[in-house]
Amino acid sequence: MNLNTLAWRNLWRHKRRTLITASSIAFGVLLAVTFTGAGDYFYTRMIDAGANMGMGHMTLAAPDYNRAPSSKKYLKQATELKRKVMQLDDVKEVVARIHGQAMFASARKSVGGMFIAIDPQQENANNNLFLKALIAGGMLMDDSEKGIVLGVDLARKLKLDVGKKVVYTTTDKTGEIVSAIARVSGIFQTGAIEIDGAMAILPLKTAQQILGYQADQVSVLAVTLDDQRNSYILRDKLQKMTAFKNVEVLNWQQTQPDLAGMIAVDKSSNYISQLLIAMLVAAGILNTMLMSVLERKREFGVMMALGMSPRNLFLLVMLESFWLALLGLIIGVIVTTPWYIFMTNTGIDLSAAYGEGFSFGGVLLDPIFKIRLFKESIVAILIGLFGLALLAGAYPAWRAGRVAPVESLKAI
Amino acid sequence: METIVELKNISKIYQQGDVEVKAVNNVSLTINKGDFAVLCGPSGSGKTSVLNLIGGLDEPTMGDVWLEGRNLANQTNAQLAEIRKNRIGFVFQAYNLIPVMTAYENAAFVLDLQGVKEKIRHDRVMQTLAEVGLVGLEHRRPDEMSGGQQQRVAIARAIVTRPAIVLADEPTANVDSSTAESLLDLMQKLNQQHGITFLFSTHDQHVIDRAQRIIQVQDGKIASDEYRV
Repeated sequence: MNLNTLAWRNLWRHKRRTLITASSIAFGVLLAVTFTGAGDYFYTRMIDAGANMGMGHMTLAAPDYNRAPSSKKYLKQATELKRKVMQLDDVKEVVARIHGQAMFASARKSVGGMFIAIDPQQENANNNLFLKALIAGGMLMDDSEKGIVLGVDLARKLKLDVGKKVVYTTTDKTGEIVSAIARVSGIFQTGAIEIDGAMAILPLKTAQQILGYQADQVSVLAVTLDDQRNSYILRDKLQKMTAFKNVEVLNWQQTQPDLAGMIAVDKSSNYISQLLIAMLVAAGILNTMLMSVLERKREFGVMMALGMSPRNLFLLVMLESFWLALLGLIIGVIVTTPWYIFMTNTGIDLSAAYGEGFSFGGVLLDPIFKIRLFKESIVAILIGLFGLALLAGAYPAWRAGRVAPVESLKAI
Repeated sequence: METIVELKNISKIYQQGDVEVKAVNNVSLTINKGDFAVLCGPSGSGKTSVLNLIGGLDEPTMGDVWLEGRNLANQTNAQLAEIRKNRIGFVFQAYNLIPVMTAYENAAFVLDLQGVKEKIRHDRVMQTLAEVGLVGLEHRRPDEMSGGQQQRVAIARAIVTRPAIVLADEPTANVDSSTAESLLDLMQKLNQQHGITFLFSTHDQHVIDRAQRIIQVQDGKIASDEYRV
């Protein structure tokens, strides 16, 4: 009988104990998938939502624009740059935007705020979070119209409603103060106070005219990627290209450092939670394997008396850990799969607890709790738990291999 | 006569708290090929300790143990495991079969460790099981066999590799007298027909009566050593 078969049979000496330990590994898989999946889903949603709020997963801007934004700093030949970026793999979309600060005034009040100018032909509710969050009126239908979409709190402060006029004042590309009049075409509500109380959306062409930009001049090109995790690679790639020599290429971690920091902190606490779960699972395996080794001390002594080498004895117990881990993982995958499918497709609605929308790091998030696992997370969970199970079995195996035959034979 | 085992001024001292216990006290002994010998004496006299030292399961505090010309003191743990696997058979008082294995698998265990090929292993195991009278029981697990049958499996496991010596520690202690007699018949037959050397540790009179050589152990020393004519 080979060691593998012997190890497998040994595992079934105490069926209940083996099944309880395998179940604890399976439960570890379920928890790890839930925690990691929630992280993968939540962070991706936050990053994508953040990207939709203006700067994209990657941002192309004039040098130093990100550190000190100003209408004096703008991209030239935006159309050509956009064409070049679109040629790269993993690039989903590139939109031209103008960002700026403005004073908004109604007949009753003036309020300071920000604006983003967009091309209504290119941006819609699918790729622009503000337009998705419209609660009154409509989107900017025409690039040439004198419309403006206001955040709900900004409209409230200005005591404005759809159809009313607003005057906004900003500085043009030469630093001169310029003003324009617009009619409120829509009102959005993201749920994020800092956005709803200060943000306005303008048509790109109108903003270009007011700021003195030519048709090919914008503040930024916001690049949306198929997968935000590629932002570092693509940023580095673009930075090396000659066409982008005089362009500042930034990824979302640079344009949204607060969000990146919050995600990093949240990830750390998530890792700690997972580490604690892993340690509990490991303790269960260690306990089972140690008990199994101690109660077979005499048997190990007999095996050594019969000529089994310490190495083979170590290997035998390690193989038992291997089969136990594999069994636990298989049960874990079987149990977790329906849960994963449910959580991926349906999720749990937390709106009763958090309201229809809640924000994190200034980013509006969906109140439906879902999970999504990246491929590398699946591999990490399976390898991590499997490795942990083997590691937990290593000490009992080492002890088994160090059995002194004469002492073991005296054991009851 | 060819010497299988030679003990040269062997002592084994155990430390029990502050007290030193001399389990084996300056013993010199040779076991020859074909011996059917017993180490007999009261409990605690040192019989099992001598057996363990010969089997390389324990190290002497002083002196040397030679097995087929090899000094066991010079062997590493792995080398001792090799010697036990290839040259020594063990039969224990409590059978000590591996409970998850069938009679066949238990008997084949050491051949497995030796890496003997499937066909040869099968033939040798079946032949040995036939010799010990277990034909038809090869698929039974230990908990499906009587004590006597289990000890027969243990004997089969000990002799299947054709070892230089079989060390049997109180092999009849856990079986009734008629089973003990049949086990002794079996071992005597194996000794006489195949020339397998047996060294028993026992205080069972049945075993002592069958022995060809009786070595009396008392207080860790050899009190007498005589061949029965």
